[in-house]
Amino acid sequence: MEINGNTLVFLILILFLFFSSPGGDGVASQYEFTQLEKLRNQFTTEYESFQNMTYTDNFRNITGFKLSYQDIITNREINATYPIENKDYTHWANNQTYLLLPDRLIDTINTKVWSTPGGSPNNIFPPNITTSMTGHIELVANDEYTPIRMPVPNYFEPPTDFAENNPPGGEQYYDEWPNYGELHNVTFQNGELNIQVTHLDQVHTELNQNAKYKKRFNSQDGRWKLLNLKIEFFDKLEKEKHVSSSIAVYDIRRGRILGMSQSSKFHSLFALPHYMNLRNEENNEIFSEVKLLIKEYWNTSNYVDTLTMSDLDQLYDNALTKCEYMAFLQLEPWSQYTKDQIKQIDDELDWPIGRPVNISHIPPVSIKSGLLYSPDCGVQLQFNDVKGPRTELKVRTIRIHIIIGILLFAAQIYLLLCQMQHTNTPSSINKISFYSFSMINLVDGSLATLYFVAASVLPELYLPLVLSSFLSFILASIFETRYMISIYASQVNEAHVGILTLLRGHLRNEDDHVPRTTIVPDEASISGRLYGRFFFSLIIFIFVVSSSTSWPRKIRMIFEYIAIFALNSYWVPQIFRNTIKGIASRRDRRRNNSPTNRRQNEMPLLWRFILGTTVIRTLPIIYVFTYSANIFRHHRDVTFVVVLSLWLIFQIAILYSQDILGSRWFLPQHSIPEGYTYFKPISLQHSIEHGGGSKDEPYTVDCAICMSPVPVYIEEVEGTHKVDIHSYMVTPCNHIFHTECLENWMGYKLQCPVCRSSLPPL
Amino acid sequence: MSSKRITKELSDMGRDPPTSCSAGPVGDDLYHWQASIMGPPDSPYAGGVFFLSIHFPTDYPFKPPKISFTTKIYHPNINANGNICLDILKDQWSPALTLSKVLLSICSLLTDANPDDPLVPEIAHIYKTDRPKYEATAREWTKKYAV
Repeated sequence: MEINGNTLVFLILILFLFFSSPGGDGVASQYEFTQLEKLRNQFTTEYESFQNMTYTDNFRNITGFKLSYQDIITNREINATYPIENKDYTHWANNQTYLLLPDRLIDTINTKVWSTPGGSPNNIFPPNITTSMTGHIELVANDEYTPIRMPVPNYFEPPTDFAENNPPGGEQYYDEWPNYGELHNVTFQNGELNIQVTHLDQVHTELNQNAKYKKRFNSQDGRWKLLNLKIEFFDKLEKEKHVSSSIAVYDIRRGRILGMSQSSKFHSLFALPHYMNLRNEENNEIFSEVKLLIKEYWNTSNYVDTLTMSDLDQLYDNALTKCEYMAFLQLEPWSQYTKDQIKQIDDELDWPIGRPVNISHIPPVSIKSGLLYSPDCGVQLQFNDVKGPRTELKVRTIRIHIIIGILLFAAQIYLLLCQMQHTNTPSSINKISFYSFSMINLVDGSLATLYFVAASVLPELYLPLVLSSFLSFILASIFETRYMISIYASQVNEAHVGILTLLRGHLRNEDDHVPRTTIVPDEASISGRLYGRFFFSLIIFIFVVSSSTSWPRKIRMIFEYIAIFALNSYWVPQIFRNTIKGIASRRDRRRNNSPTNRRQNEMPLLWRFILGTTVIRTLPIIYVFTYSANIFRHHRDVTFVVVLSLWLIFQIAILYSQDILGSRWFLPQHSIPEGYTYFKPISLQHSIEHGGGSKDEPYTVDCAICMSPVPVYIEEVEGTHKVDIHSYMVTPCNHIFHTECLENWMGYKLQCPVCRSSLPPL
Repeated sequence: MSSKRITKELSDMGRDPPTSCSAGPVGDDLYHWQASIMGPPDSPYAGGVFFLSIHFPTDYPFKPPKISFTTKIYHPNINANGNICLDILKDQWSPALTLSKVLLSICSLLTDANPDDPLVPEIAHIYKTDRPKYEATAREWTKKYAV
């Protein structure tokens, strides 16, 4: 490669960009450096004050906890600055004078939510609760409580121009924004709830996010766990959706979970010990244990040093766009097990080697009662009976489903191969509808893409997903597309026949005999074009489908129904094609059943293929729409499935009737455009033109294929009328061959042997 | 079917032999023939006699016969193994073609090579850039192998 000036400049530019890219903490400018520095300082100061805190101490300068509920009741316009005049920082009790929660709420939590006493042998809770749970949520109040004002420090703001080096100081209250309420209120009464729980047992100790550096930190593993909690709730129409991610503490002995969201206006990590001991049961014990847990987490993960710009942006974003939430959850005990059994279950799920545990009967992880409260928006929500299987069990179920899917794909490939074997001549393949296979192909292609994407998202199901993706890709882009190429090649020279032509009863250009230019199909160019079309339509389809997931629920459902219905009309083009090609009824086909044209006159699609394909393609839809516990959590709609099945049965019934009664039985007799017939008497002049009339055999022409004479039926000559007109064939270009010879040749190519013009298929 | 047609072609060939070519079965095997072509007078192959071996497939005439030169020849469309690059012997085959027509096509291929669709690109290159050199080499090969 020659390196000229331009290339050199380009290379230097690339190298410059490469070496000047931000480091591990994502800092790209002096401004951002100062921002991160300020955040680190803030956290360090607060952590120091957290370290000195005892259970009887009030919060001092912890962001978000400077005010209590009583403070805001007394003075609505109070500013959350430390220290507040006349505030008592040396005492602490479980009431609204010191907490963010109103007294009424503290009571509710203590009597209704965290009511299960711990420690008794009947109440044993599973230590590992990795799961994703679903249930219903109910709004209790959104205007009853006074929102607590929480300021956001101004240094979080992004720079206003490039030259700026120092972030602004001070802080700002966002509840004064004009559109603050829209994002920060819950307006629906009843909604759906998803809670996703993952354990936070190991943390990265350095900025370098390499799995090697993950470390366990929890010295009280049997009593306390740190969790990541993701709570999502939305109304049934999904007009309003709220997501809250938080770090949570799980009390294994009592089955209690406390989660609090984190943002730049709410440093809840330091408040977990106080709020975990809301019932004040064993005084300092819970407080000091949770404090130790937070301390260990803080120190092992090097919390301050591992902060990055993206953490900063995330904290700022959460503060602006979301309410802060406190989640109080009470788990249902697994009373039927002993501690040892639960440990065995955990081990077996983690590493299945066939321990004596009945894995299929493990109860779901379930939340008996829960309460969500947002101190800065004054919203309270509650829920009961939210449950979901352990993630490992769910993965196991999904794996079984994928394997069944793989079997279906294999069956489909087998059926397609049978079908390809059945139509191995240009004449028979000509009768198959290109569009039927396009529809089937589109679905398989999208499935391949879907599986492939899923495989990269779900590493625990990588192998089965990749296998499915591979099989459906082979099915779609090798077998089906190859078959479509042959179909396309055999139909490339056809005049366009539409529904109108079919009803009018004759081809439009019947009168003008301008010979159409014959394209000799070149498989390479066709395959290029078809593959292009295949991938293009696939990309468009996938784009529409993936964007449809973000549409409003109602439009999405209508789209889904229409799409499924349309894509399951795959036999309609074939019915239409049969009508155009005019296949004779079964009785007629039996009657002139000569061995050579037996194959030509059969139905183009094997019944095995039609029924098998329909069943393979409908089973998953039936499963998703009727079995309410399906893995996709798709809603149940039996009516749609019944309508869809009836539609498919109707299509198959039409196909069957075409097989039995002939493909045009439903059209009036006169409206049928006749296909070209090869069997007809010829005129005397025609026979002479074709070299007929030699001395010994006057009324014959030579067949160019076997080079022997063909006796023909000549209209003007009485003596030739005993010749069967089915024994020879006259092509549209007026060449004459033995029926056997030409039918044989048409098994290879639909082209006249003499003049190379295209032949209409039989 | 195929043997009937091959017999027919053989008798036609005997009745009305094409100029400058001849062909006939080798021994008793009707499906294996040998043919010879006289080098066309207006070509560098003039004076040479080129032998070809012909194998008819069992589904002849629906599949083309397999024809190859047994005499070495210097030609852009014929390689060292004697394989011929000719469209009617491949995808442009038609059952109305007969062996004598194919042999005539090969004859005209000797006169007018098709360097745009070559089997031996080196020869095609010389054919296009240095015609006298090509003709000299072809003549030399003819003298050496085909006389």
